[in-house]
Amino acid sequence: MGMEKEKNLHRLQCSYASLDESFEISKESYRGQQYSHIYYARLNLMRSLLYSLVSNWKPFSPVCPVLELEEGKECVIIGTLYKHMKLKPRVLDEYSKEKSTIPLVKPHNFIHSDDYLILEDEKGRVKLGGNFISPSVYATGVVVALHGKESGAGDFLVLDVLEAGLPPQIDRPLKSREDKYVVFLSGLSIGRSNSNPLQFQLLIDHITGHLGDEMEQSIASQIVHVIIAGNSVEIPPGLLNGQNLASKDLSRIAEPIKELDIMLNQIAAGLPLDIMPGPNDPSNFALPQQPLHRCLFPGSSAYNTFRSCTNPHCFELDNVRFLGTAGQNVDDLDKYSEAKDKLEFMERTLRWRHLAPTAPNTLGCYPYTDKDPFLIDICPHVYFVGNQNKYETRIIKGSEGQLVRLICVPKFNETGVAVVLNLKDLECHALSFGTQLSS
Amino acid sequence: MSSVSSNMKGFYRQKKNTITNKSSNKPPIHDAALSPSTTAHADEYNENETMLRQFDMNMAYGPCVGMSRKERLERAQKLGLNPPIEIKKLLENEKVQSQSLWDGSI
Repeated sequence: MGMEKEKNLHRLQCSYASLDESFEISKESYRGQQYSHIYYARLNLMRSLLYSLVSNWKPFSPVCPVLELEEGKECVIIGTLYKHMKLKPRVLDEYSKEKSTIPLVKPHNFIHSDDYLILEDEKGRVKLGGNFISPSVYATGVVVALHGKESGAGDFLVLDVLEAGLPPQIDRPLKSREDKYVVFLSGLSIGRSNSNPLQFQLLIDHITGHLGDEMEQSIASQIVHVIIAGNSVEIPPGLLNGQNLASKDLSRIAEPIKELDIMLNQIAAGLPLDIMPGPNDPSNFALPQQPLHRCLFPGSSAYNTFRSCTNPHCFELDNVRFLGTAGQNVDDLDKYSEAKDKLEFMERTLRWRHLAPTAPNTLGCYPYTDKDPFLIDICPHVYFVGNQNKYETRIIKGSEGQLVRLICVPKFNETGVAVVLNLKDLECHALSFGTQLSS
Repeated sequence: MSSVSSNMKGFYRQKKNTITNKSSNKPPIHDAALSPSTTAHADEYNENETMLRQFDMNMAYGPCVGMSRKERLERAQKLGLNPPIEIKKLLENEKVQSQSLWDGSI
């Protein structure tokens, strides 16, 4: 590190363990399998979990399959929710003759007051009634247990809902340590017309310790890890139109990535760096997105501190468990359900124990046959999503004493904000960079 | 479960007859070239195949399209559903069709 002045500052280090194995696609192949398998696997795994909770929750109600419901008999049913949505775009809509009867879609999401929930298991489905369960909160693909009874009309009158709740958590090492910081970044969007290279360069200079006085440098030396949560580049629009590219356009397409490589090179020379792909990056579309190829980063990938990771990304730093995505899961929930802020969506995905319940319904996802990699078995200590509009953070507590730090990482290109987390106490603050001269 | 599967099998045969009768421009669901054990008029399959088809149609072990019978059996074991041991023996020791009965027809 180039931080020698009067006294040498040494960068702190921390241990790293990658837990991305379940998100890596290696031996899987496509043999005509459909998405029914992933719902089947999800329902089976979640059901055995919910079964164990039901005996404490409603000890006197029998658990029965949807097809064995009897009118007026109180019981518990377990299944996958399906939300019937009037406004959800369907491919058949353009052929529909009654176009005018479909209300206009709001720009931000597709929920409507007529939406209703249906619970499905392998054999049957039943429409859910009553005011207890609000369709706007839930999304298609969530597995829950419901207590209630069949009403005369053939609906299931919901009296109580049981979600799986926060997964069990491995205790965070308690021994008090020195401050160690982790920096989260997302939405660099290098290559966009309004991108501001100076802003990113300032950030790099800050974390590599080339900025400020000794005080600031000593803080910089406590940064142990950088995570880039997706959308690092933006390919100029208009180039990718399905036509063959002229050779000069080929080099234009590669420019943002080259620029990114130069920038990341500076970070990787100083400290460990994880880069995750996002929806705009040159990776696959369907979740889990596979690591950006090393050959895209000829400069940075020479360092062993540079790691190209999957999205979602799961890892441990000094035994603090991190889980995060580039934001697709929360953005999709935002389109098909409602919450007061993005953190609430994040909290729900943890309580549902599923990172991306709307996959594969409205979110692209690999057609797994024997597992659902998005189920959350172990509760992370830090849960982050990238590419959000603003920085938000909160700590949530589970019933068994779980403690999770939720972080919405804003788009750096638009806000100039990176997020810094202290590994010692999971305290979090924003790191804001501006390049405008105030007049 | 066996009653359900045998009903389903009856349903399957009826449906196939109507399709082969009505749509003359489409090939029958099971082409004779596909494999000897799923010939177009599937009355010839043996007892082993009957058992395996009942396994295919048993919804407790999940959908069967897009994965081999062995993979489906392994998934059922992984999920702790205790699939019948006879099926495992059949798939490992006998010379049987490795794909489910819908294979190639969708």
